[in-house]
Amino acid sequence: MIVRSGQRWLWLVLFLAPAMVLFTMYFVYPLGFVFVTSTLEWNGVSAAKFVGLQNYIDNFGSRSFQFSIRNNFIWLGSLAVVQIALAALVAMILARQPRGWRFLRTVYFLPNVISQVAIAMMWAALYNAEYGAINQFLELLGLEHLTHNWLGEIGTALPSILIQQVFYIGYFMIIIMASTMSIPESYYQAAQIDGANVLQQELYITLPMIRSILVTSMTLAAAYGLRHFEATFLLTDGGPAHRTSVLGIQLYKMTSALDYGHANAVGGTLVVLGLIVITLIRSTLGRRVAADEAKQ
Amino acid sequence: MQAVAAQRLTFAGGTARVGKWIVLIFFFIFTFLPLIWLLISSFKTNLELQTNAFGLPAIWQFQNYVNAVQISSLPRLFLNSVIVSVCSTFLTLAVTSMAAFVFAREKFPLQQPLLNLILAGVLVPIIGLMAPYFRLVNSLGLYDSLVALILTYTGINLPISTFLMHGFMKTIPAELEEAAEIDGASFVQRFTKVVFPLSRVGLVTAGTFVFLFSWNEFIYALLLTSRTASRTLQLGIRFFVSQFFTDYTSMFAAIVLTIIPSIAVYVFLHEKIIKGLTSGALKG
Repeated sequence: MIVRSGQRWLWLVLFLAPAMVLFTMYFVYPLGFVFVTSTLEWNGVSAAKFVGLQNYIDNFGSRSFQFSIRNNFIWLGSLAVVQIALAALVAMILARQPRGWRFLRTVYFLPNVISQVAIAMMWAALYNAEYGAINQFLELLGLEHLTHNWLGEIGTALPSILIQQVFYIGYFMIIIMASTMSIPESYYQAAQIDGANVLQQELYITLPMIRSILVTSMTLAAAYGLRHFEATFLLTDGGPAHRTSVLGIQLYKMTSALDYGHANAVGGTLVVLGLIVITLIRSTLGRRVAADEAKQ
Repeated sequence: MQAVAAQRLTFAGGTARVGKWIVLIFFFIFTFLPLIWLLISSFKTNLELQTNAFGLPAIWQFQNYVNAVQISSLPRLFLNSVIVSVCSTFLTLAVTSMAAFVFAREKFPLQQPLLNLILAGVLVPIIGLMAPYFRLVNSLGLYDSLVALILTYTGINLPISTFLMHGFMKTIPAELEEAAEIDGASFVQRFTKVVFPLSRVGLVTAGTFVFLFSWNEFIYALLLTSRTASRTLQLGIRFFVSQFFTDYTSMFAAIVLTIIPSIAVYVFLHEKIIKGLTSGALKG
């Protein structure tokens, strides 16, 4: 019996060990590294010097960082509010199963199976000032005065990248739609008998019933907003004049330049912001969901 | 009075119906037309691209696709992506199914805190860890190798995969394992003969997730490799601009070629993919 339990412990440890080792390598050590080195002046080779919060102060004082953090919040808002609202609208329409709804659902989700990189390259071609389809389309309509160097001008660069992401609603639409379609049909029938029209049904039955999935979607979308990197990196690389930069781009540039101190101050800012945003959304909107569910 | 109300209702119903179709058609155009434009343009000459953006090519330039394969070393990029995605998927599933088994089916001290610690990893914005991952991979001597990507993708996916596997293994009835134990099954056999085979659905869900992540990952492929020989497909696309220079339509052909496998899989499996996504979402 003792042998058996000793063996059990041995196996238990062996089963856990790979996961714990990898977790230490890729989460515990990196998080520690980020916060410790963010207080150092260090290029990875020469002796490190402790500088306290100076790296954070430097970052927050630089224009490229200020634009980046502003843009991350614009991304966060655009995805968590605008994209989720559009996804919910389309999900509610499709959940009523109009003609061709399966086909449309399949098409809307299509961009989500294609890599962000390929999608971004396609939009680079669409926005291109020389041969891009968007300018050519405007010229075709006789609207030459509306053509732009979309990704090169300060006024249009950020909106162009945002639009390219926000209107790809497929992923959240699918999640929200599944939740909408699981609402019992009888609820709607009862409302119809009481004379509620479609709009009222959606407002007073569907929306409250899908609240928890909306909060989950918003949390995910907010996290994507903070993590945004690919499309901006490929379309503008943060330009013109840092106007489209995000924290991920800053971090990549600093890491490549082996400026570990400032890079990890950006990394630390990202990690802390991520935790704050998720906690905030969960504790404000999420609490109301939990309270509602407790009532039911 | 009632007739007026009814009329107003049908009018409201009418505008709602028109509005509904405007929304649906807008998103259809937004998601579909750019892809079609890219596909048709990839068969044009570069002159046609600039002079006739919306028509069909006068002669379909299949030569663009020949150029695309020759210039971009696509086969190599594909092979690298397949190696990285398959290896990181299997490695992640092996590591996390063992860990999830212990967490879901055994009792030991610090079990819950350890599990919570791993699951909290889901909340970490991985993009913030560029510098430490760069340093870690360098100090392991793995910089610029496919192994670096395989190990990194496995590490990154550890929390989510453990979460999915643990959630699934919790639902397997304990009686099956107890019966196996009475029949003399050892610790390892309970895993290999009972729990692991019964976790097929969980393995497929987690495996699909990890595979797609690895296939589409860009940031760490960018940061952790430099030679052409260790480039994955997504990273390779980035260099198309400099490789093809002004031969835009051949570049479009190369982009189309990188998209085709994903679309092919989607066309055959879209019902399954959508169903898998929705059931996962509802449970989560």
